[in-house]
Amino acid sequence: MAAPRPEAALPGPGLLAPGPPLLPSAGVSPRRLASQRLGRALRLWVPAGIVVLILATCFLLPLVTRMPSPTNGNILDAGDPPFSPGHWLGTDPVGVDVFSQLVYGGQVAFEVGLAVTAIGVVVGGLLGITAGYFGGWVDALLSRVVDILIAFPALVLALAIAEGLGPSEVHVIWALSVFSIPAFGRLSRGATLVVRDLEFMVAARLAGTRGWRVIARHVLPNILPGLVTFSLLGIGIVIILEGALDYLGYGIPPPTASWGAMIANGQTVLTAQPEYVLIPSVVLVVVVAALNMLGDALRERWGVR
Amino acid sequence: MALAQQVQLQGGNGGPRDRAGRLAGSPALRLVGRRLLAALVVLWGVTFLTFAVMSALPNDTAQVLLGLHATPGQVTALNKALGLNRPFPVRYWHWLVGVLHGNLGTDLEGASVNSQLAQHLPATAELLAYALAGSLLLAVIVAVLAARQPNGLADRLSLAVSMLGLSAAPYAFAIFLIVVFAVKLGWFPVQSNSLGSGSVLSFLQQGTLPAASLGFPLFAIYTRLLRADLVEQLQREDYIVTAKAKGLAPWQVLIRHALRNSMFSLITVVGLNMGTLIGAAAIIEALFSVPGIGSELLTAIGDKDVPLIEGIVLVFALVTVLANLAADLMYAVLDPRIRYGRSTS
Repeated sequence: MAAPRPEAALPGPGLLAPGPPLLPSAGVSPRRLASQRLGRALRLWVPAGIVVLILATCFLLPLVTRMPSPTNGNILDAGDPPFSPGHWLGTDPVGVDVFSQLVYGGQVAFEVGLAVTAIGVVVGGLLGITAGYFGGWVDALLSRVVDILIAFPALVLALAIAEGLGPSEVHVIWALSVFSIPAFGRLSRGATLVVRDLEFMVAARLAGTRGWRVIARHVLPNILPGLVTFSLLGIGIVIILEGALDYLGYGIPPPTASWGAMIANGQTVLTAQPEYVLIPSVVLVVVVAALNMLGDALRERWGVR
Repeated sequence: MALAQQVQLQGGNGGPRDRAGRLAGSPALRLVGRRLLAALVVLWGVTFLTFAVMSALPNDTAQVLLGLHATPGQVTALNKALGLNRPFPVRYWHWLVGVLHGNLGTDLEGASVNSQLAQHLPATAELLAYALAGSLLLAVIVAVLAARQPNGLADRLSLAVSMLGLSAAPYAFAIFLIVVFAVKLGWFPVQSNSLGSGSVLSFLQQGTLPAASLGFPLFAIYTRLLRADLVEQLQREDYIVTAKAKGLAPWQVLIRHALRNSMFSLITVVGLNMGTLIGAAAIIEALFSVPGIGSELLTAIGDKDVPLIEGIVLVFALVTVLANLAADLMYAVLDPRIRYGRSTS
């Protein structure tokens, strides 16, 4: 066992400093403590509940109830205001049910968000850990590749792919992964660099653990909390980007419902009926904000910086 | 206190004699050299990748230009005239040689890409500068106000606003701004089509809404980051205790000491965010009809105008790379440990 470094022997920054807020309970009344605990719980469970609720609405509700079609409507019902019979969020200018479009558009948004983020975590995480752990020319090479991908405007690639291969959900996932892979790569490289030189790593190496075994048993568990909290942020960003592609007409092809396309279509009747833009925009903000807040709460719990 | 500041500013880094010797073999210069080399590699990689992607796509440029009724002979002839029949490495090599001579080629309509860029660049530059400067300035003010009293009213308010900015899609937020401030209140025009023409009045009038749409998410990111960093500095760092012990007012400690150190992480994030900022700029420019290179890029992609796409991507990549480089160098300028090569990072 290596001798403890001098700074490790002193807990915290010396006697004079106010010290890190390790125990927020010190000198706080039990009542205040209870309210703090409640606040912490609410910060986690409220956004988690919103995310679960919206996921259930998008993926389970269409299975258990009969919903109006998200792509075809009756032109006689066109432009129904919200709270109309049969269409509780109203219908769009060609008579398609707004709530159905939200639900099915939400399916697409979450599918793309989860797939792109998962690809980013796995591929980017592997690249970043490899670069950070092994260092040297491997790091130099992989870091340049990541730099190039970050400087490469993802939007250009996404648009070019949609333009060349035709818009589809799979192509959107491909295109946006080019954006998520370098982001997770850079994050996991940095996190690996921090973990690499800690004492337990030295201990692991001295105990004879080598290479990938160290990565799997010691590096990965330590950087995983950071990757998970960032991926919640990532899903939100991807949902916004997916909406941007739909909005521009390069995302999910038209008959399929999508939030971005709803905003773009609503824009044409903006001054007369702003609710067509308002409803999908608010849903988009609520979903992304819930994901962000969930990420923040988990970060607070796990002490991720 | 004045003496203390002088000592702090000079940091004991010697006189002019010392300075000359330092420049010759200085780690700072080596750092600059390494970063420049890396920046060149990145620039080359981006142009190569763009070229590769564009040429991997089905190539029907000549067909599109000539219309549906063109004979196969005409298509072949135009392909030959545009040089599209040559293999990808040859085309890339020609383009690269041209770029190194400062010539970005001609677009499909026969106009020089250089002049296209020169014509559209000012509007984008104005827009990005407005968005960046505005969001940075507001973020610094709000973060300092919030960090003064963590969990106070200002802090909670700033957290809520920045959460909103982080979660709002720029295009949706832009439409919201247009509805409220252009249509309902009539304070700003809906279109910003004379941005970049040089007049200050039109810059403020037409630039504000698009810059706000671009800057709101940036403001959110910067504020969250700076506030968290400031709070941590104030709670943990020894030099804060020293500053307090010297008898400085809380405001002075916050601004002169904590803010100065927190600027480091802010600078890095500003550099890193340039890439995504540029992507968002394309959509916002198209929405507000700003005559910039972002909206030009969207048109060029629709037309599969490869030379124009290449030129714009090159400019964007150049800005991203330069921003990162500048962030690195600012680090070196601001942090003596890096300047003297003592840091491990």
